[in-house]
Amino acid sequence: MEYIVVSILNGVVHGLLLFMVSAGLTLIFGMMGVLNFAHAWFYMLGAYVGFTLTRLGGFWIGLLLAPIIAGLAGTLVERYLLRRVHHYGHAHELLLTFGLAFIIEEIIKLFYGDALVSYQMPDYMRFAAFTIFETNYPFYRIFMGAVAIGMFIILYLLLTRTRVGIIVRAATYRPSTVEALGHNLPLVFMGVFAGGSALAGLAGAVAGAFYPTGPNMAVDFGTLVFVVVVVGGLGSVVGALIASLMIGLFISFSVGLNISIADFLGLFGLGNWASDIGGLFTLQLSTIANSMPFLLMLLVLLIRPAGLMGDRQ
Amino acid sequence: MSQARDLALFVVGLAILAILPLFLSPNLMNAVIKMMIAALFALAFALAMGQAGMLSFGHAAYYGLGAFAALHLMRAVEMKLFFFPTPLVPIAGAAIGFMFGIVFGWLATQRTGVYFAMVTLALAELLFTLAPTWNSVFGGESGISTMRGASWGLSFGPDSHVYYLTLAWFVISTWCMWAFTKSPLGRLALALRDNEHRVRFLGFNTHVARTLIFAISCTFAGVAGALLAIANEATNYTIFSAQASANVVLQTFIGGAGTFFGPALGAATMTFFARVTSDLTRSWLLYQGLIFVLIMLFAPEGLGGIVSLHMRKLRAGSWRQLLLPYLLCLVVGLLLISGLVFVVESIHVVMTDAYFAKRVAANGAWVPYQFFGRTFEPLGLTTWAIPIMLLGVGSLLLPMARRVTATAWLLATQEQSPPSRDGQSPTGVRQEATA
Amino acid sequence: MSNRASSNATMPVPGAVSGEPILELRNVLKSFGETEIIRGVDLIVKRGQRHALIGPNGAGKSTLFNLISGHYLPSSGEILLNGESIAGSSPHAINRRGLSRSFQITNVFPRMSVAENLRISIMGRHGHRLTLFRPVRSLKAVNDEVDEFIDKLRLAKRRNDLAGDLAYSEQRILEMGMSLATGPAVLLLDEPTAGMSREETAYIVELIRQVTEGRTLLVVEHDMSVVFTLSDQVSVLVYGKIIASGEPAAVRADKIVQEAYLGVEVH
Repeated sequence: MEYIVVSILNGVVHGLLLFMVSAGLTLIFGMMGVLNFAHAWFYMLGAYVGFTLTRLGGFWIGLLLAPIIAGLAGTLVERYLLRRVHHYGHAHELLLTFGLAFIIEEIIKLFYGDALVSYQMPDYMRFAAFTIFETNYPFYRIFMGAVAIGMFIILYLLLTRTRVGIIVRAATYRPSTVEALGHNLPLVFMGVFAGGSALAGLAGAVAGAFYPTGPNMAVDFGTLVFVVVVVGGLGSVVGALIASLMIGLFISFSVGLNISIADFLGLFGLGNWASDIGGLFTLQLSTIANSMPFLLMLLVLLIRPAGLMGDRQ
Repeated sequence: MSQARDLALFVVGLAILAILPLFLSPNLMNAVIKMMIAALFALAFALAMGQAGMLSFGHAAYYGLGAFAALHLMRAVEMKLFFFPTPLVPIAGAAIGFMFGIVFGWLATQRTGVYFAMVTLALAELLFTLAPTWNSVFGGESGISTMRGASWGLSFGPDSHVYYLTLAWFVISTWCMWAFTKSPLGRLALALRDNEHRVRFLGFNTHVARTLIFAISCTFAGVAGALLAIANEATNYTIFSAQASANVVLQTFIGGAGTFFGPALGAATMTFFARVTSDLTRSWLLYQGLIFVLIMLFAPEGLGGIVSLHMRKLRAGSWRQLLLPYLLCLVVGLLLISGLVFVVESIHVVMTDAYFAKRVAANGAWVPYQFFGRTFEPLGLTTWAIPIMLLGVGSLLLPMARRVTATAWLLATQEQSPPSRDGQSPTGVRQEATA
Repeated sequence: MSNRASSNATMPVPGAVSGEPILELRNVLKSFGETEIIRGVDLIVKRGQRHALIGPNGAGKSTLFNLISGHYLPSSGEILLNGESIAGSSPHAINRRGLSRSFQITNVFPRMSVAENLRISIMGRHGHRLTLFRPVRSLKAVNDEVDEFIDKLRLAKRRNDLAGDLAYSEQRILEMGMSLATGPAVLLLDEPTAGMSREETAYIVELIRQVTEGRTLLVVEHDMSVVFTLSDQVSVLVYGKIIASGEPAAVRADKIVQEAYLGVEVH
């Protein structure tokens, strides 16, 4: 029981973090048709900014500066790079951001080395929020979840209650009409791009203090984000939320389950036979926890090729 | 006419490759082997991408599977389970590549465009995370290794044997892929790239077609992987990494996906570049990334496209007009590159642990560092002046270089005969009709 | 018209219009979410007919085409081709059964030559959809037919030019030619003369009449002169329903039609 509750909490927090990053990506794609491959690298950038500033004395300043710097990076990318290749088509833009991801990663490796860095949360945040059964549940996980939820609420309010929000949402459907109505469309695009990148940066700064921070974090997290957007349907923020939570829960549940197919077959009395065969049958779920999201994606693709919230043709 | 010229070039290139081993050290021979394998992998990738518009971000999956298949086969031969001639081992790579290409391709081609790319990426990541845990097939973290077996009177011990084996398969595979572009399915691939939607309304089951095309691409990726396994006699799960998939994408576009040989050119060049620079610097991936981005921004048709542009547009005599402008561009380029390399490599040295230790020993002072055999003071005037001068002068001269080159091009291409009409336009490269 | 063995399409039947329906829509409905676009369309197109579909903008003409050609799934109702239901079939299956469509927005393969564009349709019809082991140059029957089509479409001068480089009207002709080359019994043309000058329109109409001899034609058109010169049957679609169907002169004189177009009450 304890396992279930803890796994749910962990899964939800992880899922919310995933959502923080995928929401921006899916919004940008829905509006501009550009899939920013480097999006997860803004996440990593945010983590390293957080690390640097924490080392210099200010964790909270890190949390403040990370989204600003990531947002600024996003603005520069959109204004000076993406706009240049816009007329070559979406595949070209994707490839450009692909190359950018590389460059960002290498520059970070240049300054910070190949190994993990020790980005830690401040000591006063290192306590148990509450105790479930016999496990102390770390406060920081709750903190991460709270930041994500807070951001979601702000985003929701921004998009539905403000004038800017309405323009942004309109631009998702009919960009040229919005422009014809006199709004500065390039500015809207740039703003959304910057905003999405800032979100990713904030997520990185928050998560980096808890999860390992190193040059591989972008690739690892990035592939998950892409699975989320494929499963949830590109352009659908709600789909991204559902998919993020699903994947977060999937992972957190599998991590602790030391069962294998052989164990499952043991219910039918075939346990020994399966164990003898070995290989895939004795592979434990916890070992392949990392593969779960991709298996989920395959499953979704088989059942609903358009993603959970995608349009059927 | 251009077909005859292409054939001539191909024959000449083949001849050069055939006699090269006589002049190369084992190290360099190994380098050329790796270049051929990379070129083959890139051509296979480009078959799906440049031909049919299917951008696969996880192509290393089929490359890796081909490698493992080959290794298992060679191992079986090594353990005397049965005999299988070493030169035919890449067939295992092809078979595995095709099988997984069909299965994964069927899944991935349910979607198009960026979705397709994401699915292929995730499939490769699936293999990457699964492989280290599956010891019997993938050898866990350390991988599988074996020895090449003797066959057909050859021991396949020395590198030259491997070289000719690789060359043979490279030629056969390239010819097959070239023939593919001339077949009905190959032409259909082009149509799919241009307008997949339309193809559906012309009576084609595009899902089946795209799956088949993708599987063919994976077949040759598998061959490349098998050749790598034969050359290295080992591999492990890192062959499935995102890095490996990414490399083939970058190399293909640096070379240019619009021409048939562009990807091969890009892959060979970048593989060589990597080999040369990875000993000198740890940031060679950064340089590769920068080259890629610059090409995407300013030369979207890649190196192959540039070469093709020259061959198409210039008349015999006008080469001379471009000589001086290009020289200027070269100078500007060298200035900018040296400035950049200076900055990047200096940062590198300054950021290493060894340097940090020296600083600690000197109570935090910025001690001088060694670089290219010279000593530099981190805060010294010369140290800052050099890159600033290089980058500054380079940037100042850049606009002039661009203008001069553009003018020279205009003059060089002013009078030209209409492009030759042989019924088949080169894939992806636009022929502009003269006014 | 020469006879050629084609693998899956029905042969065009030269001669007069026969009485049997070749394409039938029965109470077809299509909604997108809450919005009803097609509100119960009944339409009969007879074999060999030249049938025009007209109506004000937003009536749902393109939607109807999308429904017939398999791009959309009808919310309810029946669509029959030669008596067999095609509602819900995929576009490629419908095409192989003998129905082909052209598009309002030109939809060619811009980076391939005119000949190549046509060859795709033709090689498909000859069963060479997935052929791997023969160079396409060696398919004599296919290549001969490509030449024939190019001549028929009067595009011989532009044979080796990239489709993306053609003039607008030439592209429209090629677009139509690609659909035609799949050998359909029924051809759906979506505003074939859109955006053309008077001379170009006259030219196209004459060309259409010539190349579609013996086939059934369903044309969406806005240009009334085209409608009245080309078609022998006209149906009027307004707000997702057919309000009139008959011979051109009769439809033109119909008071309900006049009201729908002009918006005035006619006494």
